[in-house]
Amino acid sequence: MKSRKPTAIIAEIVKYVILIAGALFTLLPFVWMVLSSLKSGSEIVAIPPTIIPTHFMFSNYAEAWAAAPFPRYFLNTVFVATVTTVGVLLTSILAAFAFARLDFPGKKIVFSLFMATLMIPGEMLLITNFVTVTKLKWVDTYKAMIVPWLANVFYTYLLSQFFSSVPEALYLAAKVDKCSDLKFLFKIMVPMNKNAITTVAILSFIGSWNSFLWPLLVTNSTNMRVLSHGLVRFQSEAGAQYQLIMAASCILVVPIVIIYLFLRKYILEGMAYTGVKG
Amino acid sequence: MNRKSYKGYVYLAPVLAIMLVFTAYPLVRAIFMSFCEDYSIINGSYKGINLENYADLFKDKDFRKAITNTITYVIFVVPLSVVISLLIANLLNSHIRFQGLFQTLYFLPYVTSVIAIGVVWRWILHSQYGLLNSILNFFGFESIGWLTDRNYSMASLIIFAVWKSLAFDIMIFLAALQGISPDLYSAARVDATPRWRVFFRITVPAMRPIIAYAFVMGIINSFKVYNEVFSLFNGSAGPSGYNSAITIVFYIYDKFYNNYKYGIAAAGSVVLFLLIMFFTAIQRLPGRIRARKEAAQK
Amino acid sequence: MKMKKIMALTMATVMGASLLTACGGSGGTTSTTASTTAAAETTAAATTAAGDAAAETTAAAAESTAEPVTITFWHAMSNAQEVSLTELTDKFNAENGKGITVELVNQGGYSDLQTKLMASAAADTLPDMAQAYNNYFTDYVDKIVPLDDFVKNDFDNWEDIVEGYRIENSEYGFITGVPFNKSTYPFFYNKTMFDRAGITEPPTTWEDLEKDGAILLEKEGVPMLGYDSMCDMLEIFLRQNGADYVDETGALFNTPEGLEAIEFILNLYSKGYARLIGEDAYFSNLMSSEMIGGYVGSCAGVTYIVTDNEGHEFELGVAPIAQGKKNAAYNAGTNLVMFTKDEAKQKAAWEYMKFLTSAESQVKWSIDTGYVPVRTSAYESQEYQDFMAGDTPGAITARAAYGQAPYGYVPSNYFPGANEIRNVVSDTLTVCISEGRTAQETLDELVTAINDVVQ
Repeated sequence: MKSRKPTAIIAEIVKYVILIAGALFTLLPFVWMVLSSLKSGSEIVAIPPTIIPTHFMFSNYAEAWAAAPFPRYFLNTVFVATVTTVGVLLTSILAAFAFARLDFPGKKIVFSLFMATLMIPGEMLLITNFVTVTKLKWVDTYKAMIVPWLANVFYTYLLSQFFSSVPEALYLAAKVDKCSDLKFLFKIMVPMNKNAITTVAILSFIGSWNSFLWPLLVTNSTNMRVLSHGLVRFQSEAGAQYQLIMAASCILVVPIVIIYLFLRKYILEGMAYTGVKG
Repeated sequence: MNRKSYKGYVYLAPVLAIMLVFTAYPLVRAIFMSFCEDYSIINGSYKGINLENYADLFKDKDFRKAITNTITYVIFVVPLSVVISLLIANLLNSHIRFQGLFQTLYFLPYVTSVIAIGVVWRWILHSQYGLLNSILNFFGFESIGWLTDRNYSMASLIIFAVWKSLAFDIMIFLAALQGISPDLYSAARVDATPRWRVFFRITVPAMRPIIAYAFVMGIINSFKVYNEVFSLFNGSAGPSGYNSAITIVFYIYDKFYNNYKYGIAAAGSVVLFLLIMFFTAIQRLPGRIRARKEAAQK
Repeated sequence: MKMKKIMALTMATVMGASLLTACGGSGGTTSTTASTTAAAETTAAATTAAGDAAAETTAAAAESTAEPVTITFWHAMSNAQEVSLTELTDKFNAENGKGITVELVNQGGYSDLQTKLMASAAADTLPDMAQAYNNYFTDYVDKIVPLDDFVKNDFDNWEDIVEGYRIENSEYGFITGVPFNKSTYPFFYNKTMFDRAGITEPPTTWEDLEKDGAILLEKEGVPMLGYDSMCDMLEIFLRQNGADYVDETGALFNTPEGLEAIEFILNLYSKGYARLIGEDAYFSNLMSSEMIGGYVGSCAGVTYIVTDNEGHEFELGVAPIAQGKKNAAYNAGTNLVMFTKDEAKQKAAWEYMKFLTSAESQVKWSIDTGYVPVRTSAYESQEYQDFMAGDTPGAITARAAYGQAPYGYVPSNYFPGANEIRNVVSDTLTVCISEGRTAQETLDELVTAINDVVQ
């Protein structure tokens, strides 16, 4: 990036302009959420809306936090999201490997059926699944919140796409070395695709973290409820306390951002490798 | 390739077992429901097995509108989202300052509360105080009733949806870009190949499986669009009174949970199912043809 | 109900209202809100697999009625409502003397509760009792415990329950429930603005609506009217003009009176005296920003009208809605229904229902939440009269609600398709207004849309 042609400099400027404009645009709702969480109850309903709060109401956070047993919800959410994520990673990695690398009778049909299940809206499956969970006597247990989500076609398919980009030669070489499939998968395939697996982990964790309707359906006691249920506390049939909903939403997001920042290092490792040369 | 063996099923077993119970079974039940006249979800009773639900469905002008709207939505949202995300992911992956910061900024929308997202977009698109109209006015254009004029409902929905799917696509594309072996690029660097050509000759082919994934998933998810409509139009399917932005899943949801017409909702799901099958098959055609050509050349 | 359901549903989406300050004069501060809610959690926390337990213990509990009995109650109350419900329930649990413990289970908003009840009906794990609108259980009315015998043998004075609610709870041909949290839709208006424009009294007749609407539009440049629920607006105008609305056979207003009412409604909108909500979420928000002179909406929503926004400070007025040839006002809110098949639990649930509908409980409940009492004796009690004499927003709303209570009307919801009719009527009417259709066209479109649902 030293002495460059003018066109290169312009290209560089354009690049940053696009990135900054895009970032501002995509970030707008996030900023809005944070600013709204600091508005007063009257300011938040003003039309047209103000952008910067006239008085910063940090007390909204304390009020939101005190309104529901958030510590318990927090523990439940962390537990459910963690177990679900670890479990779904495991099952998805195994299945993705089968689809990407193994040949078995009926593979095409199984794969087609597998993909076909994605094509029916989840809303149609909800009531039947609730009846199933009831018959299994899983209502009000962690099992009910976790087990149905331990298989995920999206993640399996995504990982199998990544696995299939790994050169076939590596697999054959491993075969020659008498490396078992399972060993190959976890010693070579998984480390090679850790960017993708980390991404799936984040997606799964966020999905589980934000889920609302299913956990509400399968639980009854407050002890089993999760963070997203805390948000409902601030609304009623006639209206809602939006500044508190926003404050609680901000509280909800913090752990995910921390996890992301922590995991980002792993996603970025590959980059550091190429990055130093520039 | 190793010989065919049933070992693959051992690896698939956990996923298949769970899906059998929690996906396949309810799915089969939904298909069955779609053929039952006046099906009751409460006790499983029905008047008879026939195509009554399908007949009702196609007589309903809202459903026909839902189909055309959904197809329009898919045709616009999926390609736009993939192309823009690819561009941004590529920029994010190039040598830029504050790379980590930028990546985090582009990730944040993904964790933003849906309430905030709905609220802020309704403000952006508001006919009188909206940000978008202010920008249009600044450049001398007239204000548009994005959320009030039913002719613009789909346009508003598409803008919103493209924005909403960016974060996800950028994330998986970034993961894929990180996985491309740097050796692939070294040759290009020596040749001083122009950057755009590197992008199309090296980056895109290396990412082909992930781009295909983004397309297939984009199509499937876009066909199932519901939340975007709900949050943009404040619970209805377009400006109040008009169903100008109704989508298939919105229709299904309304029939099932508000009107208790379970059979019709199930029939709608089956139609949706067939539509998605059809579109994903079309989408794969170019790949198949290419594969066949390549095979022929060899 | 569409508006309501959407309101509850759209916690996920909507830009909304204000800090729920001391609601309806409850005087509940933030800290008490928090601590009592926490208490509610502890109570509910004891519940384990409510539905399952209910089904399993049926046989065992039936044998001994004197044993302590625990019943679960699914509700959708939040904020001040949940605090008050918890206080009432704690009191009942402590003082009933029959070993009855009620466990409150918050199931989210109305639409969440409705979905969960539907799912539980399908799985046969309904709770012992729940809050419900009549249209929730059109598909599983056979699972509702008829309360006729309880009412006949063990209720102090059924006639004391406001008539509209008695009719509503008997729509299915037997007594399906007892009324609990009931609201009415009075006219909220910007008194400061009205005074400025020289309108000394809020409109009381159809003629006033036109006259005052014209004045306000001319002097202040804003519409005077908005209606939170379009289908209920139509029903009330029809009834005020002596027309009928709908029943299980279809539309009943294809009459000269019906046409006249529709013409009147269309006129309000075309002249600019009334406006549609359009892209703005709530009329209460428009009120708070002085973009509308008044609106007709739930009395429980008074706390969402903000009267002290910078540049928009005004005095809030609340009045009974304007009346026509006949009197009619719109009521909403859920009833308490019973599902348990266990006799001991049924008795226990009935004790709790009696407690919640007692005059004493209703007075506290209404003052705390802004709902209206379901019993005449509660209205007439000294405590409630004293409350209404005050000048808090809750008190003036209660006065207006009281003023229109005698002609409160509860819409029919018991037949299949009732829910769908609400939606199609709201949609059709909104479209006809925005497209400037004639009264006859509007009438025809409404009738066709309704009859299509009923077939």
